[in-house]
Amino acid sequence: MTHLIETDVVVVGGGVTGVAVLRDLALRGVHAVLVERFDLGTGTSGRWHGLLHSGARYAVRDQESARECIEENTTLRRIAPHTIEDIGGLFVLLPGDDEAYADKFVEGCAASGIPTEELSAAAAHRREPLLAPDVRLAFAVPDGGIDSWSLLRSMAADAEARGCKVLVRHPIVGVERAGDRITAVRVHDAVAGEDRTIGCQWVVNAAGAWAGEVGRMAGVPLTMIAGKGVMVVMASRYVRGVVNACRKPADGDIIVPQHEVAILGTTSEQVPSPDDISVGLADVDRMIDMCAQMVPAIASGRVLRAFAGSRPLYKPETPAGDGGAGGDTREVSRTFTVLDHASRDGLDNMFSIVGGKLTTCRQMAEAVVDRLAERMGVTEPCRTATEVLPGADHGPHRVAEPLARVERDQAYGELICECELVTRGQVRQAVADGLTELEDLRRTLRLGYGPCQAAFCAWRAAGMVAEAQASEAQPEGAGEPHDGPAGRGSPSSAPDPVAGLERFLEERWRGQLSTIWGDQARQALLNHAIYRGIFDLQGDGVPDEAAAALDRPPGAEPGDGDPTRRVGEELVGDTEGRTSSRADGR
Amino acid sequence: MRADVVVVGAGPAGLAGATRLAEAGRQVLVLARGNGFTHWGAGAVDVLGRVGGEPVERPLEAIDRLPEGHPYHLVGQAAVRDGLDWFSGFADAAGLTHTGDPERNRPQVTAFGTLRPTCLLPEPAAKELRGRVAVVNFAGFRDFAPALCAQRLRRSGIDAVPASAPLPAWDHDRYFTGVELARAIDDPGFRRRLAPGLARAVAGAEVAVVPAVLGLDRGHEPWADLQSLVGTPLVEAATAPPSIPGLRLFAAYRARLDALGVRWQFGFPAVGVERDGDRVTAVRSEGASRLLATRCQELVLATGGAAGNGIEANRDGTLTERVAGLPVEGFDDRLGFMGGRFLGDHPLAAAGVRVDAELRPVDTAGEPLLANVCCVGGLLAGHDPTTEGSREGVALGTAARVAAVLAATPAR
Repeated sequence: MTHLIETDVVVVGGGVTGVAVLRDLALRGVHAVLVERFDLGTGTSGRWHGLLHSGARYAVRDQESARECIEENTTLRRIAPHTIEDIGGLFVLLPGDDEAYADKFVEGCAASGIPTEELSAAAAHRREPLLAPDVRLAFAVPDGGIDSWSLLRSMAADAEARGCKVLVRHPIVGVERAGDRITAVRVHDAVAGEDRTIGCQWVVNAAGAWAGEVGRMAGVPLTMIAGKGVMVVMASRYVRGVVNACRKPADGDIIVPQHEVAILGTTSEQVPSPDDISVGLADVDRMIDMCAQMVPAIASGRVLRAFAGSRPLYKPETPAGDGGAGGDTREVSRTFTVLDHASRDGLDNMFSIVGGKLTTCRQMAEAVVDRLAERMGVTEPCRTATEVLPGADHGPHRVAEPLARVERDQAYGELICECELVTRGQVRQAVADGLTELEDLRRTLRLGYGPCQAAFCAWRAAGMVAEAQASEAQPEGAGEPHDGPAGRGSPSSAPDPVAGLERFLEERWRGQLSTIWGDQARQALLNHAIYRGIFDLQGDGVPDEAAAALDRPPGAEPGDGDPTRRVGEELVGDTEGRTSSRADGR
Repeated sequence: MRADVVVVGAGPAGLAGATRLAEAGRQVLVLARGNGFTHWGAGAVDVLGRVGGEPVERPLEAIDRLPEGHPYHLVGQAAVRDGLDWFSGFADAAGLTHTGDPERNRPQVTAFGTLRPTCLLPEPAAKELRGRVAVVNFAGFRDFAPALCAQRLRRSGIDAVPASAPLPAWDHDRYFTGVELARAIDDPGFRRRLAPGLARAVAGAEVAVVPAVLGLDRGHEPWADLQSLVGTPLVEAATAPPSIPGLRLFAAYRARLDALGVRWQFGFPAVGVERDGDRVTAVRSEGASRLLATRCQELVLATGGAAGNGIEANRDGTLTERVAGLPVEGFDDRLGFMGGRFLGDHPLAAAGVRVDAELRPVDTAGEPLLANVCCVGGLLAGHDPTTEGSREGVALGTAARVAAVLAATPAR
């Protein structure tokens, strides 16, 4: 085993926190390598409702979090406007809700620096016509929507442009220590199927809900609390902005419109493992019934899927007897903590950043990198709050933008995914950029997110991947109508796009099972009639092909090129239940 | 309004049933909420493609291996044969000749290059693939990928190669759907301009597989003409919805029903019935601005299963038959609806109304519920049309049965 890479800092974890840490280090001129076990944003950062917090949700009980949120809300709008939908939010008071709580809410917001505006019932209904008629009053707050995939991509691109490195599908498997210091981090290259080490001076554990596992490998005790939250995806947006219940936070009290859908959230349940992301029918029903109190149309709406994420909660010095499962984790503060394992555990060169939330990821990174920089003797100040991210010149994301683009280009017939308005050109470009797994096309282009749940787009995209592979094998025919059937199409070594399609369909299926009834049951059976009925796919390729998908493109050596392009090891998404088999050693 | 027989539903079963009843002299009204599985199918007549997931060679014989309660057992082999014979005659007369043998399945090539087992195929899809096969798309058509199709065909030992044929200048240069392309191909002039490029694309091949877009409103004539212009047999592959062979068939049914004087209420879902004891006296349907009641002597429900609109799957796991409120066996909770694998089997697909040998709905004890209601096609319990590949066979067999049953209860 060789030290494949030498670096100053290894950052463990490819969620928003780890990537924000990487970017912060990059901006201070520190060389760092980020290692992630799956792909960027496949943990909690990809399994949440997409709320850019104003902080108002914490204004009554957790004002430290509330202040962090409003500060970062403002900062993110400045540095990453392209990832944000500036839609605002309401806290609505329903009959039976406690007016005294509303008073405390307004006071808490004021004390935390969160602007609120009280709206009459009539004004609230003008702003959100689908609100329940019995909403008594509402408070407007600067909530927003934020796309974590887009934020992750921008931050990672910025860090990489400044010389840092991102290694996905490289789960950490251990560390090498010399006395009180970590000298290297051992990772498993899940694509090449071999272990390697990264020599380093420092380690930042940003593994979120999984930070305890990294701590264990490094030999330091670190107990995280996994706070599972279940979310439900509706087939349309219902609301213009975020809608919250103005009451003590509870199950099913928030609706976040995001792209073409709305996400209902959420539960808060302590579970033994952050890998427990199972979804119960009762959770789904409760989300719908509770959110329908605020927006009644949701009760009869079409539900696309349900998924769960694991909050990375940290409670310092857990009192005896409070480490079990099953409790409501809303009592745990949502603020974050930097742990310097030198003073805490006698491990000289590792920090952990725990707790927090997506909205505060940049601030979390600043806090830990400040401490690290001080120890390293790096004097460059933090610049992440002022340096805008690549793509920021685009301005805030608007939901109607894809439609405007299609209108402008008269591209209706170019649509590969009618639900999310993804065009043939976008898919072609992404495939040319090396994305040949449908799962990657989904995360990059939102292919297959919409109401029909990939009835048409997935096989069209699979066809485009096959065509691209065929024209690679036969470059003289690329892009032009061939005259005569001269070539043999794709080489036999290329991964089978049909197997890739079947795998994608099975992965997407898991997250749907708990939400299939009514129109969505019809949709599921119609999709089944297309794939199994018309195309006669029997799904028999799925188990065998998992290995075939790992085939590297011809000529590629292990460790060559951009690891994000060597995909297919695992498929993630809003899946239910399964996580353990994703990156098992091969 | 008033009708002798009201047929609710215009999918494969409702269309065949309405046509046969009208041919038998009944005065029929078709009430349909929209299009059915003509538009969503593979464009073939499936009788029994698979049992237990395994491909079937002899569909009529394999009926014996189906579980008890399957619609085929209720109507019997003879009704299935009768249904297929009738369909062949009907399709032939409509210029949509189908070929095939009820005794033996044959492969239908799909856009994915799979060979799905089916029974009768429209002539444009019927030619066997042998020798060198060119898989050809029309440049710019987004719903067909020759490379994908050819790759799978090669795995089946077929010498398939992908190719692309340019389209002549036309009204849809920038983008088009399969329906628009099929309509263009109806035009003899367009076909003459299309043929040379297509001929170049298929040069050297013994047969060419193309998407199923060779004409919309002129039966199989555009296919036959283009084939002779190109000089190579053309085979339409099963292509994604809307199925153009299905649209051709739907149009043929519609023309035949019009000729037989059958009335249509299309786009107006049936939402309930009026009853007098064990008889339905009228069907309620949504009108443009109010509920309509159509009085009838006999009611034929061809509303489809849970994939159609015949059965509503409720959040609590129960199932509701949507027109007459007939009992349908549900599940303990909604997780029972679907299997764990998308491409596997789904219990909900086989859910439906239980009937007796006359296709009259029965309760859980097997006792008849309504004396003048028959159920046909996908609405019937005990079969999964998609995984079995039995949709058209069940539709035609039960339509044959309902024609026979109602022949015994003539119009009053």
